[in-house]
Amino acid sequence: MFFRVIPKHVLPDLVRGLAEQYQVVGPVAKGDVFVYAPVSDAADLRLDYDTTVLPAKRWFFPESEDLMRFRVSDNAVMEESLDTAPRVLFGLHPCDVNSLLLMDNVFLGDTPDPYYKARRDNTLIVGVSCMPNEHCFCDAWGTGETHWGFDIFLTDIGDDYYASIRSVMGADLVDRYVACRMITDEDTAAFQRRAAEFKGAFSNDLDTSQLPVLLDAKFDSDIWDRLGEKCLGCGACSMVCPTCYCFDVHDELDADQLHGVRVRTWDSCQFKQFAAVAHGQNFRDTRASRVKYRYYHKQWGYLSKFERVLCVGCGRCTRACKAQISPPRVVRALQTGMVD
Amino acid sequence: MTSPVTHKAPVIANPYRPSPARITSIIDLTPQEKLFELRLIDDAARDAFDFQSGQFVELSIFGVGEAPISISSAPSKQGFIELCVRDSGDVTGAMHKKRCGDIVGLRGPFGRGFPFREMKGHDILLVAGGLGIAPLKSLINHIHDDRHEFGNVTILYGSRTPSEVLFREQFDMWKHREDFDLVLTVDQPDETWTGEIGLVTKLFDQIDVDPKSTYGAICGPPVMYKYVIAEMRKKAMDVDRIYVSFERRMKCGIGKCGHCGVGHQYACIDGPVFNYWEAMNLQEAI
Repeated sequence: MFFRVIPKHVLPDLVRGLAEQYQVVGPVAKGDVFVYAPVSDAADLRLDYDTTVLPAKRWFFPESEDLMRFRVSDNAVMEESLDTAPRVLFGLHPCDVNSLLLMDNVFLGDTPDPYYKARRDNTLIVGVSCMPNEHCFCDAWGTGETHWGFDIFLTDIGDDYYASIRSVMGADLVDRYVACRMITDEDTAAFQRRAAEFKGAFSNDLDTSQLPVLLDAKFDSDIWDRLGEKCLGCGACSMVCPTCYCFDVHDELDADQLHGVRVRTWDSCQFKQFAAVAHGQNFRDTRASRVKYRYYHKQWGYLSKFERVLCVGCGRCTRACKAQISPPRVVRALQTGMVD
Repeated sequence: MTSPVTHKAPVIANPYRPSPARITSIIDLTPQEKLFELRLIDDAARDAFDFQSGQFVELSIFGVGEAPISISSAPSKQGFIELCVRDSGDVTGAMHKKRCGDIVGLRGPFGRGFPFREMKGHDILLVAGGLGIAPLKSLINHIHDDRHEFGNVTILYGSRTPSEVLFREQFDMWKHREDFDLVLTVDQPDETWTGEIGLVTKLFDQIDVDPKSTYGAICGPPVMYKYVIAEMRKKAMDVDRIYVSFERRMKCGIGKCGHCGVGHQYACIDGPVFNYWEAMNLQEAI
């Protein structure tokens, strides 16, 4: 990795430069929240945002997308195409950069998902440092920093950004569009002070040790019944989660019933029919079993395959849950045997 | 700032694109189940379709959807794929309305099948309940084609009623074979039934098992596994030589959509066949 120092006041030059070739998507204000949205004016970009309602996954794995158009008569595929629009996601926090790396394990693994891959291949990532809010717990998983998965990462060191540059493309863009300079030891010292400040700013002190053991040993614990009684089964936790990748596929017929489109949409293991099979069998018939599965899969199922937990501590599900079910609360319940 | 141009590219290798397959034969097995023989139309797809007993395909009917169906024919049968389909949902219902010559779609084969190569040289004990015979039928036929490579082969097959016994004609013929010990049982006999009566677990009283040399394979309704495994364990069979095949909602077949999660694994890529040691370590499995 190599580094540059970019004065904050010239950053709009980089955004404007990028916009010549890319669709720039970044955090913008929408009412009293922030969302990732296309940015038409560099001034709209709100790098001081705390979090977005929906995560960055929708720019790679949209909430709904057409997989293929088909003809019914001979079961033929008529058309399938990939979205290859050059895009830059500008302003992802470290948790969201890490979430994409976790998604990559699933969608770019042994059998790559072409729809996800096309977008991933054609999207640049510019990360930006943040300070934790009251729901953040990325420190519990070590996902509050990232050293992969971005082209440029901007760490706020006062009047300047300390820019970590990870890719050839990132280097080209910085050199071409912004007046930047080489780093000095003082800049690196400022970077370290910022990192220490970040580390010290967490209000949660979540102990996540030994979760796989606790999840298996307490699989039949009544904490899951307590949590199941609270859960509304709305699936909001999955929708706002930057690492929930489950999907459903259904066919929509045209009015003529001769053609149609096969559509993929986000799905959630919190929905009752998620694990149902034919002849009335449902392997997760209760809310308790579904709440449990979400955590079991994130903290153990995924870990058993990819050696990382499927959570980046962004706190979006904590905010979204109307029943106050959150990863810190579930982890504490696992440890104490009681739902607080 | 310039507005972005829409960019589109064709999909080269798409694991979600079904290959068209023509229905070449349909046999009514029972009022609920039909046996379909299919032939992939594309030569390259047909040549590339290399599978193991115990694997499954996604049966894809555009306008309706997809359903995971285990393959009933043996890998030794070249060029054709047999699927035993129960009319129990949208896709399987639509399949039952198809006629010979119609075209449907297939994706796959997917998953981990039975360890056929390791099973060679051993006795085999196959236990099926109901539609669970469908994936085991592939294994049975495959063993049949390489019969000299196996020791004793015992098949215990339980159904609810005589009219629900699948592949009955073939099994009736096989009753007289000396190289397969085939025992059929039903829970509710009728006046025509001459076979055993009762649950499939009852048949364990009448069989001899050499625990050091026997591989077991089980497929049936979820409630059956625990009892059949208990019988196999009573016969002192090793936990890692008892194989079970699980039905789950395999939707994508490639470990992405999440629907077939069983404990910390996915049935579509880690299974659907697991040995009992693996299954013991899987939550939600048995």
